[in-house]
Amino acid sequence: MSGEEGVKFPLSEAFSFSLESIKRRFGRALVTMASIVLGISFLTFLLTTGRIVSVLYGEGSGVAVQFYQLWMAVIALLICSVGIVNSMLMSVTERYKEIGTMKCLGAMNTHVLEIFLIEALLLGLIGGLIGAVAGWTIATVWQAFTQASPVNIFMVSASLWTEFNASNPLLLLANPLIDIALSVVIALLAALAPAYIAAKLSPTEALRYEV
Amino acid sequence: MALRYEYAVETEDLAKYYVMGPVTVRALDGVSVKIRRSEYLSIMGPSGSGKTTFFNMVGGLDRPTRGKVFIDEVDIASLDAYELAWLRAKKIGYIFQTFNLIPVLTALENVTLPMVFTGVEREERLRRAREMLTRVGLGERLDHKPGELSGGQQQRVAIARALVNDPVIVLADEPTGNLDLHTGLEIINLLKTLNTEKKVTIINATHDLKMIDVSDRIFWLRDGKIERIETRAEVAVKEIE
Ligand SMILES: Nc1ncnc2c1ncn2[C@@H]1O[C@H](COP(=O)(O)OP(=O)(O)OP(=O)(O)O)[C@@H](O)[C@H]1O
Ligand SMILES: [Mg+2]
Repeated sequence: MSGEEGVKFPLSEAFSFSLESIKRRFGRALVTMASIVLGISFLTFLLTTGRIVSVLYGEGSGVAVQFYQLWMAVIALLICSVGIVNSMLMSVTERYKEIGTMKCLGAMNTHVLEIFLIEALLLGLIGGLIGAVAGWTIATVWQAFTQASPVNIFMVSASLWTEFNASNPLLLLANPLIDIALSVVIALLAALAPAYIAAKLSPTEALRYEV
Repeated sequence: MALRYEYAVETEDLAKYYVMGPVTVRALDGVSVKIRRSEYLSIMGPSGSGKTTFFNMVGGLDRPTRGKVFIDEVDIASLDAYELAWLRAKKIGYIFQTFNLIPVLTALENVTLPMVFTGVEREERLRRAREMLTRVGLGERLDHKPGELSGGQQQRVAIARALVNDPVIVLADEPTGNLDLHTGLEIINLLKTLNTEKKVTIINATHDLKMIDVSDRIFWLRDGKIERIETRAEVAVKEIE
């Protein structure tokens, strides 16, 4: 056997596959991304608002305020996750046939996984970025208009982006950068399960799969 | 230089059962055959006789319920994931009954796909895909997506994709099923040329009598079993009688 034998699928190839796939199915990608944007902007909006309010009216030292913040973060996170998981699940399952075809032509399980994870990463990143910026902007502007001192609010709100060393992990969540990271992680996890199941099917099983 | 094996494909008591509640469908039921290297073989049988199932098993696309498949005298159940992927990417070219083209890719891109996995350079991929599509008469349709092509044109894209990596075995499931007489003949000639010039082993399921004329042997399949095996001479004699 010669040395050059063996299937190849370098990361650069996987990346261009994922990028093409997003471009070719732009409508589908937009729908998936919209749910990420909505979820993350909702999360960021709630957390930013909560943080502004707690800074203006006492540093969240009261048990009631902390509890309220926790409750808000959990609910926002749940809603955001459900939306992302649902749309990632859809976008993977409607491509089982394509997965089957790729496997017939020499794709290995890991290659299939790579393509879907890179796609999820890109969608999570872009969606998270838009969502975080949108959520943060809306929360800040909203507060600035309804509260007494807009300048103060913008200062507090802007500092959220760099607020890394907070001792309270919940406060950390109010950092829009963390929300973007969260978006990527949720998108990856959401794509991982269906993509893993699909990648492990035999080619004919994947080809037969009806959504 | 690769070793010369006498048989390209061998099956041993190959069976595939589908259990559906109380019913067991014996799609393939104990098929033992030997297919020589560079043989041109046709498989005939009524709808539902197990032709596609046979292809899937021989091509390493699905796991049999029982029995073994040997490609170049290696039991494919013993291959690791890497070797199996290589078998699918390089050694075998599949022409599917249902084409299985990727809808968002153009004809050209669909044909380049198998070469991605065998590590062919991008430019070379495009060049070869263009050449192959031209050979099947689709040189003018390179940038069309499958949805913009007729059934026969899609079939020819699938044929080009199967042949573009120079496989040593071609598994073709009704490759001329959607083609008119003329185009069908061209495809048969193309397969026959590969068979005689490049010594490619061709295994195809067909109802097309033109295909029988170029086949070395014909397997008759019925209810998942080999009913009989004939050489072309035997078939020809029968037709005269
Ligand atoms: N996934 C499956 N689940 C259950 N039964 C199946 C499945 N795939 C095939 N069968 C059954 O196995 C038998 C053989 O099917 P197969 O597709 O191999 O036939 P075929 O010879 O290719 O027919 P055709 O000429 O119509 O393509 C049929 O009775 C079919 O119903
Ligand atoms: Mg069939």
